[in-house]
Amino acid sequence: MNNRFVINYTPGPTPFHKLTGFTKVFLFLAMICAIMWTFDIRILIPLLLINCAEIVSMKPNYKPILIVFAITFVTVTLIGNVMLFAVSPEAGYNNVGAEHIIWQGSGSHYISKEFLWYIFVVFIKRTASFSSVMAFALSTTPSEFASGLNHCGLPYKVCTVVSLAYRTIPDIANDFVNIRNSMMMRGLELSGKKAGIWKRLKNYVLLLIPLIFTAFGKVGNIANAMDLRGYGKNKKRTWYAEREPGKLDRIIRTLTVLLFAAVIYYVIRYRIIDPWPAKFWCPWLARDEVQHVNTIDTIKILQWFRNR
Amino acid sequence: MENKSFGARLLGTWNTRTIVAVAIGAAVFGVLMNYGGIPIFTNTSLTTAMIVPVVVGAMYGPVPAAVAAGVGNVIADLIGGWGMYPAWSIANAVAGLFIGALPLYGAYITEGKFLTKHMVIYVLCVLLGNALAFGVVAQVFTVFFEGGDMNVSLLQGLWASIGNILVEVVIGIPVIKLLANRYQSRTNLTEEE
Repeated sequence: MNNRFVINYTPGPTPFHKLTGFTKVFLFLAMICAIMWTFDIRILIPLLLINCAEIVSMKPNYKPILIVFAITFVTVTLIGNVMLFAVSPEAGYNNVGAEHIIWQGSGSHYISKEFLWYIFVVFIKRTASFSSVMAFALSTTPSEFASGLNHCGLPYKVCTVVSLAYRTIPDIANDFVNIRNSMMMRGLELSGKKAGIWKRLKNYVLLLIPLIFTAFGKVGNIANAMDLRGYGKNKKRTWYAEREPGKLDRIIRTLTVLLFAAVIYYVIRYRIIDPWPAKFWCPWLARDEVQHVNTIDTIKILQWFRNR
Repeated sequence: MENKSFGARLLGTWNTRTIVAVAIGAAVFGVLMNYGGIPIFTNTSLTTAMIVPVVVGAMYGPVPAAVAAGVGNVIADLIGGWGMYPAWSIANAVAGLFIGALPLYGAYITEGKFLTKHMVIYVLCVLLGNALAFGVVAQVFTVFFEGGDMNVSLLQGLWASIGNILVEVVIGIPVIKLLANRYQSRTNLTEEE
């Protein structure tokens, strides 16, 4: 069970592990903002490479990462794109702004070059987001996470919520597996082959109730232990995982500030002052070929209402 | 509970107990989001995670429920491996606020009070909360901050809210009743001054 989680609970040996909590949280926030706001392949690919370099530099156990990535690839990317093709093959036109059809199927189904480009960019974006999450989760212990968030200005009680939640996940997951196994031993049918939907729903209720009561039953103990150690008495607190920033910390913090500034510049320059007509850039289209599509007009339900 | 103001009931009391309960709620949310799906067809499953804001809201109030759902979704993203989607965390927090609003309309679970009237209001809140969170909030944030495709996002939102409503009504009501029954046995005790 333990190696199914990518979360890191012990301080690691590599330089990237040894950064302070604030540096890691700050870098992670900047990465997520950059990936979310730019949505431009010319920026996503460098970010993806930086994150991959971070992951490789930590020399992690690759097995759980690859399992998680494979599951997401099958469920989200493959099935999601088949769904997208069935629901809206014009997504390429809506987001890239032009259409070169390369395969015409029956009815309204077709594949255009721009549709494939759209799928590719979304895949790169998802992978970049995944890699930055992995780099963060592999390097940061719960206490470092909390101290970093506190350093960012969040009230320390919220930081405790995050670190405590992060820390109790393996316990809860163990409880969940134990309860599920013991319920299955008693003959509770949870798989899809033998029981119908309603039967399965009912059986999951029987499984959830003990899980909730065991999980929330611990609240009293943990809260008392924290109270006895004087938690919440003062307005501020210090963190066990907090250290003085080292040389590498300063370098990475400076680079992160530059990244943030670059993202804000990009958003102002290319989204507000001089926006590209379509949602994102495509290498084989010149600017005047691209047509602007209003997002609201692409919603199928509204189109259906309008056509009636 | 009854003589508390609206604001106090909305916020809940943020003592150590509440903090720990919210944290554990968030962890349960993360675990259930990843491993607690009910398989319906191949590759589609009903997540049971939305039971967490129901329980936290019933015991501690709407804002703790919202924090548990929001932080829980961030943690689910961190261990899930599908990347980070802040829009859905915000949407889950909004849904948690509505689902956990039980003490606002007089369903004091910690005093063993859960009548048929409260059940009807609870179901209405669940419908309203899901429609607002996954129909409006998630869509607005997805389009303006993440640049996703609107049709796919709407379908995902529809699917998520149908599943959530099913879980919150079919599993949620029995769980609330059970909690209310557990607390009812202690209601005739009074605190000595």
